[in-house]
Amino acid sequence: MNSYYAANLLVYAGVDIIALLALNLQFGVSGIVNFSFIVFQAVGAYTAAVLSMPPDTTFGYEFQVYFGGYHLPFPIPWIGGAIAGGFLAIPVGLVVLRKLRSDYQAIALLVLSIITNEVITNARPFLNGAAGLALVPQPLSDVIDPNTETYQYFYVAITAVCVVLVFVVANRIVNSPYGRSLRAMREREIAAIAIGKNPVQLKMTVFIVGGVIAGLSGAILVGFIQLWAPSVWLYPETIILFAAIIVGGRGNNVGAILGALLVPVGFEEVTRFIPSSFGPPGLIPALQWVAIGLLIIGFLWFRPEGVRPEPRHVFEGAPVREDLEDARAS
Amino acid sequence: MLAHPEVGVAADRPLLVADDIHRHFEGLHAVDGVSIEVPPGQITGLIGPNGAGKSTFLAVVAGTLPVTAGTIVFDGVDITPAPAYRRARRGLVRTFQLPSEFARLTVLENLLVAAPDNRGDSLVGALLGKRYWIEDERRYIKDARALLERFGMSAKESDYAGNMSGGQKRLIEIMRALMLKPRLLLLDEPMSGVHPKIVLEIQRYLQELRAEGLTILMVEHELHMVERLCDSVIVMAQGKVIGSGTMSSLRKQREIVDAYLVG
Repeated sequence: MNSYYAANLLVYAGVDIIALLALNLQFGVSGIVNFSFIVFQAVGAYTAAVLSMPPDTTFGYEFQVYFGGYHLPFPIPWIGGAIAGGFLAIPVGLVVLRKLRSDYQAIALLVLSIITNEVITNARPFLNGAAGLALVPQPLSDVIDPNTETYQYFYVAITAVCVVLVFVVANRIVNSPYGRSLRAMREREIAAIAIGKNPVQLKMTVFIVGGVIAGLSGAILVGFIQLWAPSVWLYPETIILFAAIIVGGRGNNVGAILGALLVPVGFEEVTRFIPSSFGPPGLIPALQWVAIGLLIIGFLWFRPEGVRPEPRHVFEGAPVREDLEDARAS
Repeated sequence: MLAHPEVGVAADRPLLVADDIHRHFEGLHAVDGVSIEVPPGQITGLIGPNGAGKSTFLAVVAGTLPVTAGTIVFDGVDITPAPAYRRARRGLVRTFQLPSEFARLTVLENLLVAAPDNRGDSLVGALLGKRYWIEDERRYIKDARALLERFGMSAKESDYAGNMSGGQKRLIEIMRALMLKPRLLLLDEPMSGVHPKIVLEIQRYLQELRAEGLTILMVEHELHMVERLCDSVIVMAQGKVIGSGTMSSLRKQREIVDAYLVG
């Protein structure tokens, strides 16, 4: 395994972990079925790209058209990507989360994901359409030569810092009284209202926080792979993330990390080793989708709580009961 | 009493005044011009045949359903435009006819989540970390455990609320409402679907709460229960109030007995 491959794997894992911690806050903890999650990652990636790229009139960049091109130094593009994700969540949340019932929310968000992708694909002057943006500068590439092993590990390190940061944020939210209010809203919204919770405010907040984190994940990814196009953020990508949450364990941050390692990372890595000469062309990718579907159905059927279920919160000084020993230990 | 006339006025002022409340569902007048007053420190019963509009009226008072017309004044403040969660924060707390526990929260968490003003119950508070809110949390855990003790459910604190029996869920809901330190408790058929043994317990708890000065407005079907618990009773039929008074006085009124038997 060469270092480039290892770094590649680790950065992807980090990006997926960050994204899944965000989706876990929205879906696992708060019950918001955000089927347009990938759009928030995409807006973060596009924002980071146009913030770090030079104007499209620059020599070497004339083959693409895009707005902006501000050529700003790291970490502004990453921060910008995160902020963009949060900003996008405001209008989307205000339209979708206020009046619609949760199943219609899911449908509206799914449709939003499809429409956004179509618009960006077909409106070329905006973000270079279907071809997407290429030659996105890598963070601090003027300080460290990106074609070195050192840079690969540097990138892994800054990704890891973000993973830790997001994990701390997600944990603080989930394990706080605020997280408890979010879970109560997920369990029974009408009863949560009856004890003084404002569900619109709770949902909007978690939608924006999730948007910020998703935007950051996109910014990290685009800085590494250096290109971003509509074909990498099609709506099925969101389904893979949902599969990961369901496998890992809804409402459990460790479960979200495990889900990231098992589904988007593990799954892709394992299926890479199937010889491409196997069967007619396109068979393997098609079977991958079948497998993702089966994975979701299988888990919902046999182990709906996932590999790492949401922990039961036992408080200090609770009456000792043998059947809860396992819960306390975890 | 004469020396402090304003105290007397405040004590006698109804805690809740609902004036000419209408609630229409596409032409169906579920609540059709109901005006009631709920005196403080008493248990007021709301009875009537099925479809009389009792639960709808309760939902309108709690803000779960908006009014079509009419005003609701709670403790001297017009709360008609206030959303349900804000009414709850003001101390107007309702329970539901069907079990409404938070299933995947433990029994203790079901109580804690209702605690008002926990410093950790906001995004910023949560992000500031445990040290910022642990004091509040400890205080509310103590309050919640005291309630669990009183309602005989201490042993269940770490169980998921979803695994409790119908009666226990009802108790959880009442305890959860009490965590908010309500001034008016709206109970929607608190005894429905509850084991007779727990019915007696709930009855005893409600009497205790009344003795402590809590005001309660309850919808209930079981007339014996209403007779034992309620200081005064309001009778509804077909969306209107058809009578009010003590249960024994109501029994003597022919049209009310008829409404029950016919309705």
